[in-house]
Formats: sequence, C-alpha cells, structure tokens
Amino acid sequence: MAADYSQVKKPVGKMVVFGICSAIIYGALLSYQGFITAYFTRGALYAILPIAGAFAISYVHGHFTGYFWSVLGIEARKSAVVRPRPEVERPDRRERTQPQPRLKA
Amino acid sequence: MQDVIHEAVKFIDLNYVNILYLFAVGFVGGLVSGFIGSGGAFVLTPGMMSLGVPGLVAVASNMCHKFPKALVGALKRAKYGQVDVKLGVIFGIFAEAGVFYGATVQEGIKRAYGDAGSNLYVSAAFVVILATVGTFVLRDAVKTYRSGNTDQEEKVSKIARWVQSINIPGTMVYFKSLKAKVSVLFIVPLGFATGMLAATIAVGGFIGVPSIIYVLGAPSLMGSATELVVAFVMGLGGSFKYALHGFVDFRLTAVILAGSLFGIQLGAMGTTYVKPYMIKFVMGVIMVTVLFSRGLMIPVYLSKLGLIATMGETTVKVLRSTSFAIMVFALLVGAFIILRAMFKGRRAERERELAEQGTLEHIYINK
Repeated sequence: MAADYSQVKKPVGKMVVFGICSAIIYGALLSYQGFITAYFTRGALYAILPIAGAFAISYVHGHFTGYFWSVLGIEARKSAVVRPRPEVERPDRRERTQPQPRLKA
Repeated sequence: MQDVIHEAVKFIDLNYVNILYLFAVGFVGGLVSGFIGSGGAFVLTPGMMSLGVPGLVAVASNMCHKFPKALVGALKRAKYGQVDVKLGVIFGIFAEAGVFYGATVQEGIKRAYGDAGSNLYVSAAFVVILATVGTFVLRDAVKTYRSGNTDQEEKVSKIARWVQSINIPGTMVYFKSLKAKVSVLFIVPLGFATGMLAATIAVGGFIGVPSIIYVLGAPSLMGSATELVVAFVMGLGGSFKYALHGFVDFRLTAVILAGSLFGIQLGAMGTTYVKPYMIKFVMGVIMVTVLFSRGLMIPVYLSKLGLIATMGETTVKVLRSTSFAIMVFALLVGAFIILRAMFKGRRAERERELAEQGTLEHIYINK
C-alpha cells in the first residue's frame, strides 16, 4: 500500500485551500460568538441559520478532513472503493435478417 | 417568547479548555460513529452538561452536529458501496416520527415525575435495551470469531429470512442491501423504535443497526453504513425542531463537528480493513460497557423518587462520576479496537501487496 500511495499525487493543494476556508469559518465563529449566538438562537425563521451553518461546515471542513487523511497516507483499502463503470457504447441494433420465403416449384 | 427562552437557557462561555475537550470528545465519537454507524453521541450530551450547558441546549446542539456528521460519513461509505440510500431514507422517515413521539413521552414523564423520573426512564431504557440487544450482538460476534468463519459471507438470520418471505401486496420494496423485497410495514416499527430510542438515550443506532442486520437481513457493513443515512434524516428533522425554538448553541455544534469530521472519516475508512464481525464486536462491547454505566445510576434515581432509602450526597457523587467515567471508557475502548483493527488490516494489506510485488519481480527477472 505504501509503495502505491507514494506514487499517487497527494492532494496537498486542495487540503490547504479547504483548510484555510475552514480556519476562516472557525475564526469568524469564535471571534463573533455573541453576534452569532444572538442570531442563531432567535428561533422561528432564523432556525434555518444553524441548519445552513451545519451544512456549510460539513462541506468545507468535511473536505478538509478527507484531504488531511489522504495527505497523511491514510486511505481506504483500494479494492474497497467502488468506481463507477465507464459507459460502454453499445453497438447499434442490428436488423436480423428475416428468412425469405422461397417458393419451390 | 424568545426572551423567555433566552432567560431560561444559559449559553456558556467557550474557553480554550472547553474547545479542546469538545473537539477531543467529538473526534472519538465521530470515529465510533463512522465505524458502527452510531454510538458516539451518548457521551456528548452528558459531556456538554458537565461543562454547565443546560440539558435541552446540550441535546439540541448534539443533534445539530449529528446530521452533518452522518452526511459526511454516509457519503464516504457510499464510495465503498456500503450504503443503501433507499432503505436509509425510508427507515429514517419512520425514525423521525419515533423521535417526535419519544420526545413527547419524555416531556410527559418529566411533567408527571420530575427530573428524577425522567432520568430513571432514560436509564431503565438504556439498561433493558443494552442488556438484551448488546448481549445478543456481542455473543453473535464472539460466536463468529470462534467458528473461524470470519472471512465467509454473513448468514441471513432466521427471522430475516422469514421477514423477506412475507409478501404483502402494495407494500413490497426492493432493497439492494438485502438483495430482496421487504414489506415497508416491517420497517415502520423498527424505524419508530429507533427514533424513540434516539429521543430517549440519543443513540437510536443501538436498535437501528441490529434491526437492519438481524431483522431485515443486511450485511453488517451495509447495516452500519445505512444507519448513517437514518441518522442524517432523523438528525435533520430533530435539529430543525430544536432550532425553531432557538435551543441550538451553534458554537458547540461547530466545535464538536470540527473533531467529529476528522473521526468519522477515519472510522469509515476503518471499515474497509476489517472483517464484518468486527462491526458487531465493537458495537456489542460499547453497548455492554455502557449498560454498567447506566445501571449504576438507577439506584440514585430510585432514591430521589423515594422508592428506596435516601442516599448520601457523597454516594450519589461517586456513583455519578463512576457512571460518566465508564461511559467515556466505553467510547475509548471502542475507539481503541477500531484503530487497532484498522492498523492491523493496513499492515496485512501492505504485506500482501509487497508479496505480490515480489512475486511479479521474480517472474520478470526469470523471464
């Protein structure tokens, strides 16, 4: 496994980009705790805020953590990953030649 | 109305110690959830409460971290072909109904018998369910290990074969994880019970995963992965319900999520290195250990309700601390078994690949 992963390009760039985005989100969250708590706990229509926020974090931080483990070389067993099958072009339907009636005279 | 809520609900100050603590608990919880499909959440609610977070806010914030975590875990495990989305969504919808009903039951008990009555109900549910289901799951895992058939495909249980054989017209749905059609009417009570348990002890998966495996007949890996879809559906609805009343402390949710997203990725990857019986083993070990934790608290609540002799404050404190310590221990034991199994699996995989490489080189040289 190690031998193979050393040859595979590690997603360092992606990890850094998502890591920075994640850090910005968490930095903002902790710096403006009072403001965020005030709005996110208003209830009613504002209920959408914690839900949307959770989705946003799961997207940004979820990508970061995924790339983080990849960069460290910790991956799932290769044979376990199901790859979508490439679509194979099907040959056009061939017309079956119908047996021709022959008249035996 | 919102002012009343804000007066009743106290949002704690987050300092670095609290953040690190929640991050670490989130990581371990995520690791376990990624592997067995659930199970990490039960330490988080008491863990947050130990920091001074009010019970309702702890439950709401925990719930709100659960659904995005489950989403990430489900997406990861879908890459390994382990998720049955259709089963997860149908199961999740009925589980959602169970969550709402379970919450109503909880509120009713709390109104009638107070906090002690509600806590006694929760602990009794823990003990009864964990004792029956946990022992069964653990026994099955040990039996499989002892039989030496750990590499063979898992057998479908007798009850699952019966469930799959029943044909109720108009209710039959094909599920890829079961490789069979099953009547949705069988999923209704299972989903409902999972939701009720989730509303009671925060871990519906202790019923959800075993029922998908033993009652419906899915393989362990698919059962635990599909539970993540159930947790997502259940968590999303539950979070929205709590958020409507402003109970979600998003800072807590985000900090726990920071740790648990690291953990869930690792736990999900771990499932690709282990044999299926390990899922049952980890789940059984955690369930049986937690059983002791909650069992210790039953006398405390009985005493508070005046059903047995009153206990001294020191005894209550000791029992409470021991109970929490056992719960943390259960999670750590689960995490340890997962990491150990994962690294053993990785090592075996690496050795196998090196051996294959060696064989290929040998063939190449001899040519």
